[in-house]
Amino acid sequence: MRDFLIQTSWWVPLYGLIGAVLTLPWSTGIIRRTGPRPAAYFNLLMTVLAFVHGTLVFRATWNHEPYEIVFHWLKAADLDLSFSLDISSLSVGAMELVTSLSLLAQLFALGYMEKDWALARFFALMGFFEGAISGLAISDNLFLTYALLEMLTLSTYLLVGFWYAQPLVVTAARDAFLTKRVGDVLLLMGVVAVGTFAGSLDFPDLYEWAETATLSPTTATLLGLALIAGPIGKCAQFPLHLWLDEAMEGPNPASILRNSVVVAAGAYVLIKLQPILNVSPVALTTLIVIGTVTAIGASMVAIAQIDIKRALSHSTSAYLGLVFIAVGTQWTDFALLLLFTHAVAKALLFMSAGSIILTTNNQNLTEMGGLWSRMPATTTAFVVGSAGLVGLLPLGGFWGLRLGIDDLWIDIPWLVPVLLLVNALTALNLTRVFRLVFLGPKAPKTRRAPEVPWPMAVPMVSLVLITLSIPILMQSLSLLPDWMYINQGAVLLLVGSGLIGTISGAAIDLRRNWSRPVQITLRFLQDLLAYDFYIDRLYRLSVVFAVNQLSRLNAWIDRYVVDGLVNLVGLATMFSGQGLKYNVSGQSQFYVLSIILGLSLLCFLMSWPMLTVLNTQL
Amino acid sequence: MLSVLIWLPVIGALIVGFWPTNMTAKVSRKISLGVSIAVFIWSLVLMSQFKIGEPGIQFSEFLPWIEALGLTYHLGIDGLSLPLVILNGLLTCIAIYSTDESINRPRFYYSMLLLLNASVVGAFLAQDLLLFFLFYEVELIPLYLLIAIWGGQRRGYAAIKFLIYTAISGILILASFFGLVLLSGASTFEFEKVYAVSLPLGAQFLLLAGILVGFGIKIPLVPFHTWLPDAHVEASTPISVLLAGVLLKLGTYGLLRFGLGLFPEAWAVLAPWLATWAAVSVLYGALNAIAQTDMKKMVAYSSVGHMGYILLAAAAATPLSLLATVLQMISHGLISGLLFLLVGVVYKKTGTRDINVLSGLLNPEGGLPLIGSLMVMGVMASAGIPGMVGFISEFLVFRGSFPVFPTQTLFCMVGTSLTAVYFLLLVNRVFFGRLSANVLNLPPVQWSDRTPSIILAILIVMLGVQPSWMVRWSETTTTAMITHSQAVVQLPSVMISQ
Repeated sequence: MRDFLIQTSWWVPLYGLIGAVLTLPWSTGIIRRTGPRPAAYFNLLMTVLAFVHGTLVFRATWNHEPYEIVFHWLKAADLDLSFSLDISSLSVGAMELVTSLSLLAQLFALGYMEKDWALARFFALMGFFEGAISGLAISDNLFLTYALLEMLTLSTYLLVGFWYAQPLVVTAARDAFLTKRVGDVLLLMGVVAVGTFAGSLDFPDLYEWAETATLSPTTATLLGLALIAGPIGKCAQFPLHLWLDEAMEGPNPASILRNSVVVAAGAYVLIKLQPILNVSPVALTTLIVIGTVTAIGASMVAIAQIDIKRALSHSTSAYLGLVFIAVGTQWTDFALLLLFTHAVAKALLFMSAGSIILTTNNQNLTEMGGLWSRMPATTTAFVVGSAGLVGLLPLGGFWGLRLGIDDLWIDIPWLVPVLLLVNALTALNLTRVFRLVFLGPKAPKTRRAPEVPWPMAVPMVSLVLITLSIPILMQSLSLLPDWMYINQGAVLLLVGSGLIGTISGAAIDLRRNWSRPVQITLRFLQDLLAYDFYIDRLYRLSVVFAVNQLSRLNAWIDRYVVDGLVNLVGLATMFSGQGLKYNVSGQSQFYVLSIILGLSLLCFLMSWPMLTVLNTQL
Repeated sequence: MLSVLIWLPVIGALIVGFWPTNMTAKVSRKISLGVSIAVFIWSLVLMSQFKIGEPGIQFSEFLPWIEALGLTYHLGIDGLSLPLVILNGLLTCIAIYSTDESINRPRFYYSMLLLLNASVVGAFLAQDLLLFFLFYEVELIPLYLLIAIWGGQRRGYAAIKFLIYTAISGILILASFFGLVLLSGASTFEFEKVYAVSLPLGAQFLLLAGILVGFGIKIPLVPFHTWLPDAHVEASTPISVLLAGVLLKLGTYGLLRFGLGLFPEAWAVLAPWLATWAAVSVLYGALNAIAQTDMKKMVAYSSVGHMGYILLAAAAATPLSLLATVLQMISHGLISGLLFLLVGVVYKKTGTRDINVLSGLLNPEGGLPLIGSLMVMGVMASAGIPGMVGFISEFLVFRGSFPVFPTQTLFCMVGTSLTAVYFLLLVNRVFFGRLSANVLNLPPVQWSDRTPSIILAILIVMLGVQPSWMVRWSETTTTAMITHSQAVVQLPSVMISQ
């Protein structure tokens, strides 16, 4: 039985894809009579299957040696592209997290997207999404990983662009695709290069190669930077971070997955790449720098947002920045734990945000207030999600961050304040959002808001319970450390930073009516943060402008220089022909003259060598 | 066996064109479709009989023709030409099927299409330099007429431009062939005999230059490409499909067969320059495509870019990269065929191809949702998203060429991200957004508009998931080509040091 389960573990990602294919009759409009619901049910069924199968496989792999499945895909000339899958408790556990969150998000979507005419298409994309991410979790081959990352890029594009009739959605989808694509193409360069150097693309072979590799420093640096570019794009890290913010234009259930497991998939790939990155110290340093910049910058930007989804999505970038720091400092266990706890808590926060958006038809924080009494379940979800995200004892976020502080304490102590700062700022931001949404006087848009319907409440409450039981889960998986070995100073610092954040979040002035300060410096600061340090404008003025102008210049050259030359030759031929035709006058003396002239010219040319010889001799 | 592929469409063309009694448009369409399907099926039969492990030519046919000239009727097929022959058969069927049923002068049109099919197959099958040249030139006539008679507004200009360009290309190629045979003192133009000769390097350079420019026009490579956008824009949809899908492949086929095959030493010396030329071509095509507002022109410039990859892989000439050239030819044929078909449907229904005018065509009511979805797919295939055939062929091109020309390969990769830029612009403008008021009340899309695109889309996905179905036919031949050229030149070990 156990062998069978493990042998068939590669089915788990396929379920999602099969679900996506099954929705085709509905999403293409071949079946109209039943409405799009059956497609959604098929997908849910497939995800349930994936979840159950995954759970069984997880139990089978627990406390066992990792198992490897190899697929021979393509053998072309001297290149052998086989995919190996790594079936270990870690990878299957990651896959399990993906399928369970996807299941909850899809259940949630059943309520959230109820009235959308393109429900079938949405579920098809979600199935595709789920399949690609869970495939990433068990992939043990860089080529397969790259391919799946690209499929994620595609499905992100389609999911963000789901409501394609809205102009903001269109630009958001385009930016999401292109930003990730820049990262992906750089990663592809890295994949091609490392495949050439190492001769294989299986991670174990690559690790072995990385230990003994003798690359020139420049090559190593370039390779390392190319390899981390893909995850930078996927995890929305500076400088490829803008898409996540814009992607909030997409449907909320997809945002749940995007902010929890999709970004985590990018970080997971980075963790897989980490032993290879050891060939390039520059790449590791870059990771730390990028992580730090993003973590602090995004935490600050989040505070100035008035869109509920954007306020939360920037904190995703910030937490992923911490994961980048963890990978850069080679503390993989910290990275994994933080990814796990962040994914669960962030998914819950986004579910709660989705409920608020659906019942108030509004995403603007300044137009909300007083929801706590009307929406108790949503309020609970928000509180629990926030508590699970920041370092609050004894929930997941605490254990993740604590491990980080412990680890960095030894290595690079100056990074500890970064963690604390991010924690404090996140706590501040969440408190701010909580106050704006749930406390205070009721606003016109929140006065009549009802609690969400069952299809949304059930997954939300289940996720609340899961978030609350994460410490127990960690205990049973023996991930919790002994109290004896815990660095008490670290615990104090962490809890203290969270407290400071919460208190200052509770104490700051929140005035819904005038959200722009009068003081010029404060106003500048707020605008700077609210508009994300104006980085999008910077891009528009630099990269976008440059490509645009270059292509125009190129088109101009093509049209007027290259093609112009061709047409000039054509014109010259035609004109000379047209001109010469007037020679045909019919007068014989003219013909004789031209013959004589021509002949003498010919004679002159033929005798030219002789003349030059004569010339030199004279 | 192989002659059937050439002469059956010729007979079909004669019947459609010269049958003495009146023939309605429907009947001529049916006959030509029947003939093209028969030819396609025959090519599939040949494929099933094709022996995969053999590197040399198969199904060889030999008839002496004009012995004094050294011209023989020698046909044969190998792993390089087989996929192209099949691609040609498929796309001809699709082109005939997707032709407008109420086209003017149908009998003339269909006979020209069949003649085009015959001549292209002939060029791929010819095993004699002169015979190849004959077919290469014969192909010009029907294509010229197809553009000049059934084209758009500026069809005269485009057709003449195409004619002059390709005629020059033919002259250069012929000159190189003559030069090769005369200088080497061979008495025949047969490949097998010509392959064996070796010339001094200087002569090789001269002859290779003729081949490069000649086929460079056909491929087309920058700066010899300006005939292509004009021809594509003016040609009707089925002709664009054939032009991009098959006819450009004559150029790359010729480059591989005659450039690399006949002058391996000169090729090896010139290879770095060729790779650079390829990178320039790729980036130039991509940048130009970004600036276009006509959808068809955009796809045409993307062809310029994507054909550049083939030159890169051919320049690298590793076993993997040569195999990748075949894959890239097939994948470009399928993908650009699909894109041209879809653009054709959009043009037919809306009457415009301007991306600034169209918008929101994905709209399920009153838009073209299925065509739009297929367009998104085709565009993604072209941008190299995994799961579709464009990805694996481009990956193999890059992976095969990187060890030899790392810098040029990296520049070509930048081209793939630029591909994403211009095609995303296209999809975002034309298919996303609100349905524009200019294109309300579109005529309904018939299944006959969709079927050809769906067939191509299925093939694109199928071969993308299972590329070994493509690889197996060509692998032996391309590897043999490498060993042949390496036997002639002791290639310097150009593997970059780690």
